[in-house]
Amino acid sequence: MSRINVEILLGTLIVLLTGGMLLAYGINEQARMDEYKVAQAASAIEAGAALFDNNCRGCHGVQGEGVVGLCPPLNDRFFFTERVKEVGWTGTLEDYIVSTVAGGRLASTRPELYPGSGKPAMPSWSERFGGPLRDDQIRDLATFIMNWESTAPDRETAPALTGPAVGTDITQELPPGEVANGEALATSKGCAGCHVTTNNGPAWASSAGQPGIGDRAATRIAQDDYAGSATTAEQYLLESIVLPGAHLVPGFQIQMPANFGQSLTAQETADLIAYMLTVK
Amino acid sequence: MLKSLNFQDLRKKAGSAIDHRVRIITAGMGLDELRAVVRGDPPTEKPNPRYKVHTTSFLFHIRPRYYEKGSTILSHTFRLGFFTSFFFFVELFTGLILMVYYTPSPEGAYQSILELESNVFFGQLMRDMHRLGAEAMVIFTVLHMLRTYLTGSYKKDRSFTWLTGVILLFVTLALSFSGYLLPWDQLAYWAVTIGTSMAEAVPIFGEQANLLLRGAPDIGAGGLLRFYLGHVVLLPLLAVLVISVHYYKVAREHGISLPAKYEEGNVPADVKKNAKGRLDFIPDLLSHEVFLTALGLLAVTAGIVALGYSAPLESHANPQQTPLDTKAPWYFWWLQGMLKLGDKTLMGVILPGIMTLLLVALPYIDRNPYRSLFKRPYAVAIGILAVMLLVTLSYMGLPIYNIETPAATRIVQDLAPEEGPGPLYDVPFDQLQPGVYIVSENPPDELCPQIDFGCPVFTEVFHQFNDDVIYAATQEGLPPYQQLPNADAVMLVEDWQKDLRKVTMRITWDDVESGKSTTYEKHVFLHRNSGGE
Repeated sequence: MSRINVEILLGTLIVLLTGGMLLAYGINEQARMDEYKVAQAASAIEAGAALFDNNCRGCHGVQGEGVVGLCPPLNDRFFFTERVKEVGWTGTLEDYIVSTVAGGRLASTRPELYPGSGKPAMPSWSERFGGPLRDDQIRDLATFIMNWESTAPDRETAPALTGPAVGTDITQELPPGEVANGEALATSKGCAGCHVTTNNGPAWASSAGQPGIGDRAATRIAQDDYAGSATTAEQYLLESIVLPGAHLVPGFQIQMPANFGQSLTAQETADLIAYMLTVK
Repeated sequence: MLKSLNFQDLRKKAGSAIDHRVRIITAGMGLDELRAVVRGDPPTEKPNPRYKVHTTSFLFHIRPRYYEKGSTILSHTFRLGFFTSFFFFVELFTGLILMVYYTPSPEGAYQSILELESNVFFGQLMRDMHRLGAEAMVIFTVLHMLRTYLTGSYKKDRSFTWLTGVILLFVTLALSFSGYLLPWDQLAYWAVTIGTSMAEAVPIFGEQANLLLRGAPDIGAGGLLRFYLGHVVLLPLLAVLVISVHYYKVAREHGISLPAKYEEGNVPADVKKNAKGRLDFIPDLLSHEVFLTALGLLAVTAGIVALGYSAPLESHANPQQTPLDTKAPWYFWWLQGMLKLGDKTLMGVILPGIMTLLLVALPYIDRNPYRSLFKRPYAVAIGILAVMLLVTLSYMGLPIYNIETPAATRIVQDLAPEEGPGPLYDVPFDQLQPGVYIVSENPPDELCPQIDFGCPVFTEVFHQFNDDVIYAATQEGLPPYQQLPNADAVMLVEDWQKDLRKVTMRITWDDVESGKSTTYEKHVFLHRNSGGE
């Protein structure tokens, strides 16, 4: 055989082999594309989770459970079934999330329950409106929030108070507090959303050479620059919860909602204080 | 009636009519001639009908009539030039298809790549081919140049061809580099940001050069459009033009160089004569080209389908966040290595400029008339040194060289890099058991004894974390940035959402200088379906 014959023969075999490989690849294309879409949605959820952690949890709670007196929950049944109807949105819920995150909200739709973080109630997050996020990031966030749907708890509105509200009188006599209840409330009431978890636990724990809030409360009222009117550690803590503007620790601004006097019962407040006093 | 028909005559007439048609189509080759071509027989007529097409057809006119036999020896050319142009055509073909699906804007580019990969039949294959072809084209261009250098084929009447080759090297690099930006992912954005930052270092008009390239102080919509148009219009046109000039010189003027031994070696006259014998385009060179093309297509297809090469795609470009371990494309690592050695203007502009000038002027600097390796010891030594220098510089360009990443950051980055694959991402979702895993001198052999299948992969990842931290905490004699005195570390796995878990890695240690307790923490979210990406 001449070289040309060999080349024609081998070349034909090679072309057949290449064609066979392309065919095998092509047969799998639909499955590959489906898999790619699933993986793509998964990475959108991952990216959205990180964005939520960095930007949203301060107001909407670490797990989207919301903070009473601040921002609404995004992970309950009401949000997934009723919210769109409540505000009269005509598109899908996902579009509603994208639109709300992008443009923010000038005024709260439920000012008694969730007044939001000031004016505007929710800032705009899209780059287009002066925020920090790109549109694809906002879509990732929406994908992440939509992923709560299957596990959303049946909670239609904020739970009603189980007893009389504590009010804002810091000299009142509180019922005896339960430390364990207080610790649970510190999480369920969303305190940790803003009082950010540090290396050693929540912000009220001791860290970086500072004692826990139990000790801090006792020493702070004795300081010269103390502007509040508490005379005991218990009163100081009560004051901090129901009248957050009474005394500002240097370096902080008022961001805490001022309505905990109405949204916490006396018993709950007592539990919280009892818990905090044990954190030395 | 039938009897009156002369079949012999009819057959002859039909035969000559067909032959006539065939001769028109093939520009001079009849049926017998075609048969001889396919069989590899010598020409059937005189003058050689296989040459006629080279004067009548444009496409054949720019092809060689013949090469000298000796010049086509495989171990002389390795077909490097052929494959360089083969990959250029692969790029043209796949590029044209990719253009259909691509949107050159920061808002649309990344999304259009996702669409291409998830919604277009053979879309991913086209992108992989385009990427693989680009890498191969750079490799083959450099190898082709190296071969030309070593065989001394740039000398005498080939000096202009060498010059066009140097231009093509830069056009190839520019094509590859401009394509790098288009997916608009983190990899693209930062590699190109590093690359174009060199323009700033140009003396006097650096700022203008940078603006011209990027369209704005930072790469944005304007820069992307410029890179896109450069990639799909300007540079391909330039490449086609210069390739044509380069190829025409080889094909129609001086041919491929003969191996030096036939020109200046001590070989018998008949061997020399045989080496100078003709190998015609039709059928030998043409059939060989078709064969090589089939081989090239097989290599590209097999590289993707069988060996699993895949064009990387990282997360969406984010100008606010520079990922750790950012690096230029591999063919610019040497430049990145040089930049670590000194001033940006000197190392990034002046020295590469001098190197370019040396390449361009090579045929005029090298006055040695011989081509044999043994008669040009200096040239060969310089060539080998240059290759070794490039490899060393490339190594120095890697993030592992001379960049002091703090130990805690390094440990976490090795497990869960900001971009690209990492051991933590490969842990099967079911093995990521929620819990608190504390680093200690004696970590448990099995992290999750409560599940029957255990979690070997996760255990391995945790052990890596554990061992790295313990090493940095206890090993004597490490440089300060690699130390973690009194380190405490923990890996936390939490259930976060349906099919989503959060992994927190936290390292606390006493800072070497201040003695203060310092913490590094990173959160990673992992979804069941993210498939290790």
